[in-house]
Amino acid sequence: MTLATKDRQAALRRALGRIERASGGERAHLPLGIPEIDGALPGGGLRRGCVHEVGGDAAATAFCAVVLARAGAAGGSLLWLAGDGGLGRLYPPGLLRYGIEPERLVMATGLRRPGDVAWAFEEALRSRAVKGVVAESPPLGTTASRRLMLAAEGSDVVGLLLALGTCGGAGALPTAASRWRIVSAPDEEAAPGPDSRDRACGLERRRVRWRTGRTAWRVELLRCRGGKPFERIVRWEDGRAAVAEPGQIPCRI
Amino acid sequence: MQNLTKNLSRPAGKAAAGRSRTPPRRVSRRFLAVWLPWWPVERLAGRRPEVRDQPFVTVSDVRGRQVVAAGNRQAVQAGLAPGTSLADARAIVPQVFVAPADPNADERALESLARWAFRFTPRVAPASPDVFFLDVGGCAHLFGGERALASEVRAKLKGFGLTSRGGLAGAPGAAWALARYGGDALGVVPDSAGLAERKKALGRLPVTALRLDEDVAAALASFGLDKIHALLDVEPVKLAERFGPQPSRRLAQALGLLADPLAPLRPLPLREARRAFAEPVSRPEDVRAAVDALLEDLCETLRRAGEGVRRVRLVCHRVDGRPQTLEVGTSRPVRRREPLARLFAEKLKQVAAGFGIEEMTLTAEAAEPVVEEQLGWTAPNVHENSRALAALVDRLGNRFGFDRIVRPAPRQSWTPERAVRLQAFDGRPPQARKPRAPGRSRSTILRSPDLRRPSGLWAAAAWPGAAPRPVRLASPPQAVQVAEFRGDGVPVSFRLGGDLHWLRAAEGPERLEAEWWREDAPARDYYVFEAEDGRRYWLYRELCDPARSAGSGSASIRPAPPPRWFLHGFFG
Repeated sequence: MTLATKDRQAALRRALGRIERASGGERAHLPLGIPEIDGALPGGGLRRGCVHEVGGDAAATAFCAVVLARAGAAGGSLLWLAGDGGLGRLYPPGLLRYGIEPERLVMATGLRRPGDVAWAFEEALRSRAVKGVVAESPPLGTTASRRLMLAAEGSDVVGLLLALGTCGGAGALPTAASRWRIVSAPDEEAAPGPDSRDRACGLERRRVRWRTGRTAWRVELLRCRGGKPFERIVRWEDGRAAVAEPGQIPCRI
Repeated sequence: MQNLTKNLSRPAGKAAAGRSRTPPRRVSRRFLAVWLPWWPVERLAGRRPEVRDQPFVTVSDVRGRQVVAAGNRQAVQAGLAPGTSLADARAIVPQVFVAPADPNADERALESLARWAFRFTPRVAPASPDVFFLDVGGCAHLFGGERALASEVRAKLKGFGLTSRGGLAGAPGAAWALARYGGDALGVVPDSAGLAERKKALGRLPVTALRLDEDVAAALASFGLDKIHALLDVEPVKLAERFGPQPSRRLAQALGLLADPLAPLRPLPLREARRAFAEPVSRPEDVRAAVDALLEDLCETLRRAGEGVRRVRLVCHRVDGRPQTLEVGTSRPVRRREPLARLFAEKLKQVAAGFGIEEMTLTAEAAEPVVEEQLGWTAPNVHENSRALAALVDRLGNRFGFDRIVRPAPRQSWTPERAVRLQAFDGRPPQARKPRAPGRSRSTILRSPDLRRPSGLWAAAAWPGAAPRPVRLASPPQAVQVAEFRGDGVPVSFRLGGDLHWLRAAEGPERLEAEWWREDAPARDYYVFEAEDGRRYWLYRELCDPARSAGSGSASIRPAPPPRWFLHGFFG
């Protein structure tokens, strides 16, 4: 590959990026409300009208909930295609602190056969009836993946494929617009105390302090069309233990 | 002139009299009364075969006492007559099955049973509490005669687990009397019977067979008039003077001398569209076009009736006589063609036309009234959106089953797995609820005004607002191995599968108890367990119930078993 070809490729990429950004701008992207992350994403947020892949442990479920809450902040229905993977089942009351009122959610449960989730996901993306869809799915093939992208194209729906247990970030969705890995991280600010193994015979007999609502995630962007991968620690904190308003999710880096 | 009028009027009068004497050719009215002697109990026992041959009573509240309202044959033979108090009944037959009496449900069930009888005749009338009438005039020959029809009805009822007795006569009153007091064999007053024979057939029955009020029957009995033939000897005028109009009227009705109107059920209207083809169709596009046309017809019918369908069945009758059946359902009543056509389009692939389809019928299996909604000027999108969502749910529901497409709702329970109720999506927007206030104790359950009515409980339910709840719940909870504890009772590590998780920080305990009526569920102490890698788990320890372990005996001698630990959830 000559230098000239490389230059031309770079120029074409820039042009493509401009076109994509021009077609919609703010409306075509869903900001996550975390300036540092939004700034690193092309267009200032997750692209609407396509499907993103989120992998990781239980924190990935919470991350999907945050995105879904923001997608439905202006009204509209939210759909969660729940499976029963290795990490138990979705528990709607747990989504409350990430800004989703469980009653707003429509859930499809017990989709067991391999093609079921992909079919339902495609139907939901195509129907234009929902603002956000999360599908807990085993890895999809290239064909199914491309069908999903076509189904979502042109709408303002945000599709998330929640690939539980794929902590290695193996592509469960080959054509994903972005690929994330979210895993829990130790919360450094929380007082860790002495090494717990030394505490085994400890004499402290007081009730353990409540630390409700403090979580830290390691957020990794593994792949993003027109953007650069990065890795950050995000701490989630809602000290007042209230339902976070979808518009002002208290999140900081 | 006078003569003339006389002459003119006489033949006319004679002709009129003649017409009235020889009635026009018509089907004679014949009534089959079916009496279900143990109806309230057998209705309940039919669904529970294990209690079918056991003594079983229903009880109702009479002035603060629980009193037997009805029993089945086994119960009554054992001496549990209606009116016995429940305590006495339990003393007589300790193993008696008891259910609350519900006369309204009995009446509704009788009506639906009467509807079932539309298969025999188009005129059916339920007579509360335990009788229904079939007007079998003109249709008995289809079943091989009146007796054959009656025995078929009784055989079918026996198949439902219902004991029945029948009476067949030209008047409902007589049929009722024969069914009620005629014994186990079918009592029949033949169609050809004259007045004398009818009197003879009824004469041996007690006067209560005339559907008299209790006080009237008692008054008659006090005069020794306990059989109908005794009443027949008394002049109707005298009877009316002393006992009111009821006995003589009922007697005349039973003998067929006086009209006795019934209130027959209206058959439910049939919502159906049908199309027969001159040439059998087999090409898929023809089948689709035919379904479209049928849907158009059906929707027009529904629109006129102000109804929408919840379930539609398409039957394709093939040339070779093997019908193909398809069904689609919807989450809320629909009467527009397009959504139904889309639902059918998916399933039409399953239709194998074979040598061709000669006829198609489309039936609304379940229809409900549709309330027209006022479209808002300001927010038309809301309506459009909910319609699109309903269409999506219909598509998902038809493929996976409507019970799989759910919406979470809170339930008043502190057991985490029971605190969420997944209710089938019904297209209605969710009601806004406030999260449960922190610090409310579980005694709210006990203070709930009406525990028997679940809606009252659910209406008060809310999500746990402040307490930590995981985003994913292990179901069922997984037992974990715990070896050492910190001073405050928090485990230092737990082992799940092959992995050992060390404690970094913890919160808790939060004690959650099951409802008091769930005795077998011990209370749980929940901890949020943050492992060294930052993952947070929801662990709980089952609390041993001291009362129960004492009850099992030798609690003080045997050491208490070590508490069991479970992993119940994963925090995000």
